[in-house]
Amino acid sequence: MTTILDGRVRAIDLSMGWAGPLLGAMLAEMGAEVIKVEDTRFFDWWRGSLSMAPPEMQPIERAPTFNTVNRGKLGVTLDLNSPRGIDLVKRLVASADILLENYSPGVMKRFGLDWDVLSSINPRLIMISMPSFGYGGPETNSRGYGNTVEAMAGVTTLTRYHDAEQPYTLSNALGDPVSGLTGTFGVLAALHERNRTGKGQWIELAQVEGVIPLMAGPIIEHQLNGEPPRAIGNRNRDCAPHGIYKCAGENTWIALAAATQEQWRAMTSALGIEHLASDPRFLDPARRKANEDALDAEISRMLSAMTQEDALDRLRNAGVHAAPVNSAAAVLGDPQLAGRGFFVPVERAVVGTHLYPGPVARFSNTPLRGDLPAPLLGEHNGDVFRRVLGMTDAEIAELEAAGIIGTAPRQYSKAS
Amino acid sequence: MRYSALDDIRVVDLTHFIAGPYATKLLADYGAEVIKVEPPWGEGGRRLGPMRIDGDAALDRGGLFAFLNTNKVGITLDLKDSTGRAALLKLLGEADLMIENFAPGTLERLGLAPADLLGSFPRLSIISISNFGQDGSERDAILNDLTLFARGGWTYPVGEAHREPLTPPGSLAQYIGGLYAANAALQAILAREIAGRPGQHVDISLLEAAVATMIYESVTFQYTGIVRERAGRRFAVGPFMIVTLKCRDGYAGLQCVTDKQFDALCEMMGRAEMARDPRFATALQRMVNNDALLEIIERFFLEHDRHWLYREGQARAIPLVPIPTIPEVLEWEQTRARQYFETINDPALGPIRIPGAPLRFSSHRPRPSRPAPRLGEHNREILGERLGMRAHEIARMQMTEASARLS
Repeated sequence: MTTILDGRVRAIDLSMGWAGPLLGAMLAEMGAEVIKVEDTRFFDWWRGSLSMAPPEMQPIERAPTFNTVNRGKLGVTLDLNSPRGIDLVKRLVASADILLENYSPGVMKRFGLDWDVLSSINPRLIMISMPSFGYGGPETNSRGYGNTVEAMAGVTTLTRYHDAEQPYTLSNALGDPVSGLTGTFGVLAALHERNRTGKGQWIELAQVEGVIPLMAGPIIEHQLNGEPPRAIGNRNRDCAPHGIYKCAGENTWIALAAATQEQWRAMTSALGIEHLASDPRFLDPARRKANEDALDAEISRMLSAMTQEDALDRLRNAGVHAAPVNSAAAVLGDPQLAGRGFFVPVERAVVGTHLYPGPVARFSNTPLRGDLPAPLLGEHNGDVFRRVLGMTDAEIAELEAAGIIGTAPRQYSKAS
Repeated sequence: MRYSALDDIRVVDLTHFIAGPYATKLLADYGAEVIKVEPPWGEGGRRLGPMRIDGDAALDRGGLFAFLNTNKVGITLDLKDSTGRAALLKLLGEADLMIENFAPGTLERLGLAPADLLGSFPRLSIISISNFGQDGSERDAILNDLTLFARGGWTYPVGEAHREPLTPPGSLAQYIGGLYAANAALQAILAREIAGRPGQHVDISLLEAAVATMIYESVTFQYTGIVRERAGRRFAVGPFMIVTLKCRDGYAGLQCVTDKQFDALCEMMGRAEMARDPRFATALQRMVNNDALLEIIERFFLEHDRHWLYREGQARAIPLVPIPTIPEVLEWEQTRARQYFETINDPALGPIRIPGAPLRFSSHRPRPSRPAPRLGEHNREILGERLGMRAHEIARMQMTEASARLS
């Protein structure tokens, strides 16, 4: 089956964690050749820590997150703190179309790999840098990850229960996937432009600047109305009920909302609580909103005696908003996801075969590929250095002997 | 701001609300011609708010619409009317992309089945965004932010262990669906340019987009057999410390992940010896003794101001931030210095500052954004001048100004 890029585009992926690697994985899904470069001492931190298990267990090959977001890539290692390692990065870049990195500003320059250098080596290169807060500005050197980026974008301040002060971090390190997806858009736009102009360019994505657009609503609301927007937890400004309620059984919950009077009537009749529909406290949206604590208490009391399955069965065809609050295990068993074959099996060395989320966009004639495994540390050193850089086996063996490349992780040693 | 990387791409935009309009906004902000086709009464996104509390109820938009539709060209067509459909087909004949988020089956009912359109227009690709995808037993079910987050797995691990799970704020997962759609649009263009393929249909499910961006919890569960449960202020109990902490004057967020960061944190707290304490010396031990570690860190944070913590943490390369309020995001000196927010002069709301285009291209000098179109603002230009429709035909495709006002 033809892929979109059909092996005709090569990307060098110097990134770590989730944001940059997701961009690389999106390109790999399209059929690009993506070469992930790691340092055997400063390997991708999403592989986890060597201390998590004895060496023979290969702990850094057992990280589910790393193994998901690096699918379809080739893995090589290079010592980025040696001139020879940097020289080899340059040779890889000379052969490539795309370079992606998410180091803090300044690191690439310290490596001698900043845009001025790389664009003179390869004028067709598209390079994307994805620092947390951007090149330039007083906070340029501040460090952030997905969760801290999400905080600086204004997400965390609005993630609170309606009746408590404590803010919470989201469950998915929002800054990372949003930056990976936004960065992908930039690289694809630049590839399109290069098809016309023949020229590459440098794209900068400050991760926080990709997340702030998702908060445009509250940001504009504050300007229109002066007040800082308030967190409302599981509630909704306009309608009630709108919440998450416990069902019978341990730790099972459903999300439930009636957006209209019609949905409210349908909900009460499906759940057999018609008496609430005629209760004067809950007659119309305004009264339900005004008496929301009492309403939530009534619904909680009723649902705590009903299993999640029973409640969802009754609500299935009622045309109201209802969903299980799925744990990771439940997501895996979601019938709609399973019915569409969303999860795909992938066999990977060390860990065996598991189901991974498949590509989200389903193309009618150039399907994306999500079925290739993530590389082991340095797994493709031989292949890449031979095929891409034309090195001999003897040269590769010498690099290994000199510690420039390798397949064994080396421990970060604590400063004394 | 408006860049020009995509200025040879033409998009017919049939989307409404958030996911689709965010996808086409990205295309428009980076130079594509996006013709936003609304029904004569306007798309539902115009009513999403935020509105001014004391504002004019007759405005044709809220703040979110003003943000999501910058740089687009706005026309109205009634697709249930044969004149409307004929005009749409003419536009599709010149287009590279059609993007839509109708309920699945709607295009077929309108006589605009994707397979037929692809047959008529070989250059065209169609991107469809829907709640659950174009097939499957639940494709017609309804969905909102609360149920999307819940079903997609985002909600379950957030909040206090003894309380109900806490939903994320706003419509974040819808934007993520929009990002996948924007990428799919360019992927379809590149399939044509690089692999020489004809146009194609792309099916995007918001639920799948949400699950794909849920930190791969479903994979982790298969590896470990462990479900991540709510851990209060902590992201999780793990070999790291990712937590929101009360300080003397508000809250701060800490994301201490590596050994190096942990060593630096100990030093910052004046307890360098703690890095060698057998309870905390390795990532594995920090996971086992996570509660004890949290207690120590928490006590330290409570005694300090969040901006002091921010400076001291960042000076040691620890990802540590003060958790800003929304007004603080707007006034943050970093966004000011980088001229990130853009002031647009919205025809209905007046001057507002909107989040800027996130990707900065070295080869372009961006131009100021055009505000979101008024309902049917470009009918004469597009329907009349470009498609040659007569005035009375155009009139049938729009409501009178009075009836188009929103109550």
